[in-house]
Amino acid sequence: MASPEVHHLFHNPIADHSFSADRKTLAVARDTTVELYAKVGSAFKLKDELKGHDKTVTSVDIAPNSGRIVSCSQDRNALVWEPSPTGYKPTLVLLRINRAATFVRWSPSETKFAVGSGDRLIAICYFEEENDWWVSKHLKKPIRSTITTVAWHPNSVLLAAGSTDAHARVFSSFIKGVDARPEPGVWGERLPFGTVCGEYLNNSAGWVHSVAFSPSGDALAYAAHDSSITVVYPNGPDQPPKAIVSINTQLLPFMSLIWNGEAEIIAAGYDCEAFRFKGGVDGWQLSGTLEAKGRPGLGDSREESALNMFRQMDLRGKAKDDTQLKTVHQNTITTLRPYESSGASVKKFSSTGVDGRVVIWNT
Amino acid sequence: MSIIQQHTAASLSDAWRTIDIDALQEDSSVNFDVSTLHPPLPEVSEAEVRQINAQVRQLLRGGDAEGALRGSLEMPVYNGSDLAKEAHLQTVIEVLQSIKASDMTPMLQRIYGTPGGSECLDVLMKYLFKGMASTTSSGGSAPRTPTRMTPQQTGFSQVGSRPGGSSESTGAAMSVLLSWHEKVVEVGGLGSIGRVMTDWRKV
Repeated sequence: MASPEVHHLFHNPIADHSFSADRKTLAVARDTTVELYAKVGSAFKLKDELKGHDKTVTSVDIAPNSGRIVSCSQDRNALVWEPSPTGYKPTLVLLRINRAATFVRWSPSETKFAVGSGDRLIAICYFEEENDWWVSKHLKKPIRSTITTVAWHPNSVLLAAGSTDAHARVFSSFIKGVDARPEPGVWGERLPFGTVCGEYLNNSAGWVHSVAFSPSGDALAYAAHDSSITVVYPNGPDQPPKAIVSINTQLLPFMSLIWNGEAEIIAAGYDCEAFRFKGGVDGWQLSGTLEAKGRPGLGDSREESALNMFRQMDLRGKAKDDTQLKTVHQNTITTLRPYESSGASVKKFSSTGVDGRVVIWNT
Repeated sequence: MSIIQQHTAASLSDAWRTIDIDALQEDSSVNFDVSTLHPPLPEVSEAEVRQINAQVRQLLRGGDAEGALRGSLEMPVYNGSDLAKEAHLQTVIEVLQSIKASDMTPMLQRIYGTPGGSECLDVLMKYLFKGMASTTSSGGSAPRTPTRMTPQQTGFSQVGSRPGGSSESTGAAMSVLLSWHEKVVEVGGLGSIGRVMTDWRKV
């Protein structure tokens, strides 16, 4: 396995990151700005700063085809940044929320995006041609607490959301005139706006940190603060699911997860490294870490000269510098994203976290 | 005074910051019962607890410590009276005290390896924390409800006044709980501590 590509951008937490479709531009949420990095040679160089929010930017997403960037922030606003020859032009989106916006993602069709918020609702935003602005419709019931994460189904109608009320839910966000009528599937047949297609709670019920649909859209995985991963296989409308598989791990909680094909999930979080889960309807297991053990360089204790050892002993009272973790990331990983895919399987994925590093991993 | 001036005067003082806006919103979390978020748990009565405890003790007397431990952990009292919960805690602690230190790790590993074993360890962790929180000595025959101390002004001077804090049996019980805690973390990982803290089902 080739070693991961590590880019240390700055010494600040990265709330969220997104690559453009050609993987030459990287958008990173840092404090109140969105920073755009361009790939120069093998490094990322700061190219542009998108300044428009006046509080911490919580999430950012680049639409792969149109190149539009959407960002949301604790200032309760979302901005759509339209690329133009003279730079990015921001457009304010009317979210109508009175708490922080926490998470934003473009639908695969790129005609809508969903914004999770601390106002116990999800704003589904779409562009209204006649008024020439972005408007939002609210998904409210039965959300009882802050939405921490959302994920789109491949059909751009179904939306999964995780919340601090410990539930993972699947909603329909069908908007007439914007979406094509979805084909009936395992989540339901008729899907008017606001339909709750599923509501799941695992046994120990921790806050949900991340949700993701499998590539086919027929299964849902979510990670919660009880260090667990739960995979739900629905069984058609108004029927109990075929299977709900919950794996309690010995590890610290996961903050983000992605699917790699239908039989593998990659998750990472407070342990600062990514883990691989394998399984299917019959059960899932933790199959190991993606961190290559005994990797040269980072984390490994270097061959020290005797002089250096005694100097360290003198300066710090210990011979070894143990302030570095043995993992590539030196702090919690908060976001995982597919970087390079072929069909349903992910060949490379990227991760960012509190340590300001962007790492591109081979699966 | 014009309306504008009044308004500025009102917003210049910081009083508005202390308004509990959640209370004004009818669907906010302070205005609904949080327990409705979870499916209800079956209630366990005191009589049932006593019955389970008698079975567990019987297993313990018969020398099947592992069976006793499993039995006591598979039926945790999540929904019951304080007395029932306390009685079950005493039973669990009794079982824990009767197991030799050298048997702890292999026994936990065996339990962890079985289906539902991870859940059992989480329950054990809950009882360990509950046991450490209640300051009563576990050696006492009559189950006492945990003594709630009235908060003191100083905050730090409680160690000396802790009821039974200096008694030997409490110290011994605490050391048993601490060594179990260490062993459970070894087998169940840090995840088991996180689950005790996040879980809404309290023992």
